[in-house]
Amino acid sequence: MSHDRRRSISPRGAGMRSIDRRRFLWNWGGGLGGIALAHLLGQSSLLADTSLGPRPEFDGGLHHQARAKRVVQLFMSGGASHIDTFDYKPELITRHGQKFDPGERVELFQSLSPGPFLKSPWSWKQHGQSGHWVSDLLPRIASRVDHLTFLHSMVSKSNVHGPATYMQNTGFVLPGFPSMGSWLSYGLGSMNDSLPTFVVLPNDFAFPPNGPSNWSAGFLPAEHQGTMIRVGRENPIHDLFPPDAARHAIRPGDEESLGVLQKLNREHLERRGGDSMLNARIQSYEMAARLQLSAPEVLDITGESSATRKLYGLDNHITSDFGTRCLVARRLLERDVRFVQIWSGADNGLPRRNWDSHENLEHDHSLMAAEMDGPVAGLLQDLESLGMLDDTIVFWTTEFGRMPCSQGSEGRDHNPHTFTSWLGGGGFKPGISYGKSDAWGYKVVENPIYCYDVHATILHLLGIDHRRLTFRHNGIDRRLTDVHGRVMNEILA
Amino acid sequence: MTPIAARGFAWLAGPAVSLLLAVSAGAQRQPVSFRNQILPILERRCQVCHQGEGGQASLSLVSREAVLRGGLSGPAVVPGDPEQSLLIARVSGDNPAMPQIGEPLAPLEVRLLSRWIAEGAKDDTPHGGGGDVTWWSFRPLHRPTVPVEHPGWARTPIDRFVLRKLREMGLDPSADADRRTLIRRLTYDLHGLPPTPEQIDSFVNDPSPTAYEDLVDGLLASPRYGERWGRHWLDVVHYADTHGFDQDRRRLNAWPYRDYVIRSLNQDKDYERFVREQLAGDVLRPDSAESVVATGFISAGPWDFASHTTLQEETLNRKMARLLDRDDMVATTISTFSSVTAHCARCHDHKFDPISQEDYYSLQTVFAGIERTDRPYDMDPDVSTQRRALREQQREIAIEIRAILAEAKEKTSPRIQAKEAQIHPLVDRRALLLNSMTLGDTPEGRAKNQAISARIKVLSEDLRILNNQIEGLRVAMLDPVFGARLVRLRAAMQQAKASLKELPPPKQVYAVDSYFETFLNIVPPLTPRPIHLLLRGSPNAPGRLMVPGALSAVNGLSSRFGELDPDDEGARRVALAEWIVARENPLTWRSIVNRVWQYHFGTGIVDTPSDFGRMGSEPTHPELLDWLAVEFRDNGQSLKRLHRMMLVSSVFRQSSQTVHRGSEVDAENRFLWRMNRRRLDAEAVRDSVMYVAGNLDLAVGGPPVEQFVYIEDFSPRFDYANFDVDSPASFRRSVYRFVVRSVSDPFMESLDCADPSTLTPTRNVTLTAIQALAMLNDRLVLRQAQHLAARLRARSGDATEQLTLTFELLLGRGPREDEAKLLLPYLRTHGAEKLCLLMVNTNEFMFVD
Repeated sequence: MSHDRRRSISPRGAGMRSIDRRRFLWNWGGGLGGIALAHLLGQSSLLADTSLGPRPEFDGGLHHQARAKRVVQLFMSGGASHIDTFDYKPELITRHGQKFDPGERVELFQSLSPGPFLKSPWSWKQHGQSGHWVSDLLPRIASRVDHLTFLHSMVSKSNVHGPATYMQNTGFVLPGFPSMGSWLSYGLGSMNDSLPTFVVLPNDFAFPPNGPSNWSAGFLPAEHQGTMIRVGRENPIHDLFPPDAARHAIRPGDEESLGVLQKLNREHLERRGGDSMLNARIQSYEMAARLQLSAPEVLDITGESSATRKLYGLDNHITSDFGTRCLVARRLLERDVRFVQIWSGADNGLPRRNWDSHENLEHDHSLMAAEMDGPVAGLLQDLESLGMLDDTIVFWTTEFGRMPCSQGSEGRDHNPHTFTSWLGGGGFKPGISYGKSDAWGYKVVENPIYCYDVHATILHLLGIDHRRLTFRHNGIDRRLTDVHGRVMNEILA
Repeated sequence: MTPIAARGFAWLAGPAVSLLLAVSAGAQRQPVSFRNQILPILERRCQVCHQGEGGQASLSLVSREAVLRGGLSGPAVVPGDPEQSLLIARVSGDNPAMPQIGEPLAPLEVRLLSRWIAEGAKDDTPHGGGGDVTWWSFRPLHRPTVPVEHPGWARTPIDRFVLRKLREMGLDPSADADRRTLIRRLTYDLHGLPPTPEQIDSFVNDPSPTAYEDLVDGLLASPRYGERWGRHWLDVVHYADTHGFDQDRRRLNAWPYRDYVIRSLNQDKDYERFVREQLAGDVLRPDSAESVVATGFISAGPWDFASHTTLQEETLNRKMARLLDRDDMVATTISTFSSVTAHCARCHDHKFDPISQEDYYSLQTVFAGIERTDRPYDMDPDVSTQRRALREQQREIAIEIRAILAEAKEKTSPRIQAKEAQIHPLVDRRALLLNSMTLGDTPEGRAKNQAISARIKVLSEDLRILNNQIEGLRVAMLDPVFGARLVRLRAAMQQAKASLKELPPPKQVYAVDSYFETFLNIVPPLTPRPIHLLLRGSPNAPGRLMVPGALSAVNGLSSRFGELDPDDEGARRVALAEWIVARENPLTWRSIVNRVWQYHFGTGIVDTPSDFGRMGSEPTHPELLDWLAVEFRDNGQSLKRLHRMMLVSSVFRQSSQTVHRGSEVDAENRFLWRMNRRRLDAEAVRDSVMYVAGNLDLAVGGPPVEQFVYIEDFSPRFDYANFDVDSPASFRRSVYRFVVRSVSDPFMESLDCADPSTLTPTRNVTLTAIQALAMLNDRLVLRQAQHLAARLRARSGDATEQLTLTFELLLGRGPREDEAKLLLPYLRTHGAEKLCLLMVNTNEFMFVD
């Protein structure tokens, strides 16, 4: 069974099964510590492919018809405040400065006890036909609200950055689990034979909390991990090219060297009577050569029109870094990279360099929003005008929200009880809101949503039943959604 | 039928059978099962909102107890009376109030709930686990008879077990590989390095009838053996040199444990001792540095720095962090030594194996008196004895101080409140100051940051004084006896501290301890914390108080350690260690021999080496596994002897050549009709490239070498791209590299090194474009290719000789004629550097036959 490869190499079955496809492949004589390279031969994707692969009858889906093909996730690292962006709470204005007493012990991350109510420093307006309220912090995204589906009742199981960031990425508060992009890569494989399936575009200064382990493949084979592209660096992908100074390097296009290498490898393979692993490694060099050609091409934005550059804010030093990453994301999606993750904000530290505004909300959220707002709106607009929004999901999220009470005089502490994410394109019902937080944005009052539900719904649109996408690890059939998850049909178009 | 489907049918068989029984018993109906019928409804339809303390309307519907406890509107259920039960009122009727999400409950579901309540709302959740104690891995160990097979191919008992299976399947074993192949295979297997041309020559030409056995013995005697096999153990226990999670801090004293593992293997410590030391060495031989360092095992996994240092006591997130921290200790211990997945029973009884939630929380109780921390130790036993006495004194004083302060904490007065009111503004000012610092390294920024730091220091001192004053005021409100007592205790604490200072400074190991100085919000346990069984694994739903224990499914062993002194933390870990190493515990002995088999042959006799449960695999050679287990257990428990038994076997010496018949019948080679061909692992690749270039530094042990640029910050940064590959840190064996959890070394990662975020009993093997690029373009490989070329040139100016030497160093053989014809012109045109780079990229270098 495709959903359980590890198990299929069980001693019980060996030697007794009739010849099936996998067995035929193994007849080449490989034996590969638990992982079958079933799709390997005859298929020339970029990476040695251990994915389950889409089913042709499902139009790219694995278990049912796929509605969307790709995902771009915008992750606001540090905890973007819902009550200062998309979740309008007029009560905060009327109660500003009053004692915050929700009638129970308030659990905070840093502060010992809650400060008084703190109103949002920004004014609010309704936008678009849907009339969704958005604060003046994000005027450009506000102009796109009719395309978006707001989830105002997100809940996290942790109020600590590390576990909460893991949770939004992997569904677990502990390290060691595959992220959503890795699961998609495992489930659906690549749509592209020269670029990675799952690309991550981190902040250039530093990684978010937990570092690259946020986009690790966990226990899935390493090929499913997020490939980091550091836009603007000499080697945007680690070891993509040799350093200029290495005169003995084997460079792209050095057909002679690669030819000699492959000749030696093929001779070696033949002398051993065949072996799927040896063959796979031969192929990996051909795939590497393709990546060396296609990566610079996708990162070269010089051919983009000045209108496009302006749309993404490349003409402005505040927005140019995030905007370039959004533009690169669009170029990756155009080339059918399946999952692109863009990080807004870097690590946790002082002075702040992400959304974690404990000390001075107005100052710190302003900085982050100024970088992010225009480029994200530009990306949405661009995807729409290219007709890509139909089958591309845009997913804006963060690890938790922030408290309606103040921390110190001008900051907000973490709030895992409710926060806002939004989705756009790819089969979501546009211009609606789902779920509700209470009058202050402290807790959910209607339709709590965990990451499991969002993950289940995104997988659903991509043609995957989240309950059936599993991988056996340390005695458990693991899923992205653990033992939870509900496809939110209410928000699907 | 796949095993999954088989399990599915097994589940179906349950209800179907009981239905038949019900019919045959006439009108007598089976009572509704809470576990099988009610809980699933609650899970599916109610718990989305009603779970844990934070559940809607403060109602949690995760267990019978929680249902009876109820929420804001009172108990959800009145046993025996469905009509009076709120739960039924809410979910029934034409327009039911609940559930708010999704469709109303089906009429059948409402009927089931009503019937369950009418029958008294009984809880039939078993406390004995879901599995089968007769499952193969739990069965007692017996020494099987070695099969009688025709002499000839079979050299050892192992061969006879394997040969019998092959014969049953109509397969023939393969002949021995040639000596060149064997020495390369053995040297990589035991050292993770290639043999030198001289070693190959000497073995190939050794006329002694015991040449092979002598080679094995020689390799086992080398310190390289412990470095290679120590790394396997570090995979299994997920060792690293940082904590992991957010703000991934360095764990600068983890390495003594890593060295302990390497040393123990090289010394061929008997396995019982190896187990006991790692779990309770500090208790069993407290003045032996070796034994204390061994307990780095318990703390080897990740630790959530931010949760432990920032969150307040008694908050839900803090309880969760502690629960998960102990969960890691339980999972590491039981996965490593017993090869079962006890951690699957945290939220409910194990669904497949005979492991109950009670077993699980008994195991948590074993680790309830310790926290991960740096721990002092001494090489001099006398100093150690003195230090221990003083620290024990400190622990006892700390217990008394804590009791008094707990009493005082309840007190308050207007003066205290006034002082407390001063705290917030100070904390606020300090935070704003920190945030006003300048990011990025400029001279002006540095000057500004220095000025701010000075002001922060003053504020922090003010805060400290304020907090002391508040505490003083509170204590003053207690009976004066306590105040005086507190003064005396603190003086005694100072005295002990001063005496400790007079001792020679200790060494430190990152391990576990019950006493240490409070750091930020991490307070020492001092005595074991109470552990409750947690319903649904929720810290908000504590059930019964637990006693320390282990798995009850292992026959013949007491699984609850209730007779121990409840305040004696160490006794619990000793008891668990004794349970593990008991002769009667079949899991232990099967587990270790299977691990060793896996590393020698590529796949274990059980190919899920940390899961011998129903979700794992069954052994291909159950009798061989048991024979090895008994042989190992009863004959000195020497790992080196075990290695030798496997390595001198004909099975191990087989050629890896593919033959048609074998690939027809057993394509995966699970029955070992040939030797498995294997790709070099990450460490072997890196070390070999260094080694053949003549640059591998064979120094043993010590602090880890940082193969990255370290940038200190709130969240430390690890920059691999700018590491100087020519620095001395580059040349050490990979087992000594500094392993970072959050940011792994991209070169090693591309070659599937273990991810220390998770227990890695088996490494994945992948062959990817990113890996090919790493071998072609990584600065480390490029640089070592230059060094290797220089080595060739130093040896000979002749291209043919250079080519021959390259082959001998990298592949263990000379070039064939066709290869020389292809490569000599290449060498002459492009130079030795490029040839060397090309050769380390060949499959023949990257794989061991």
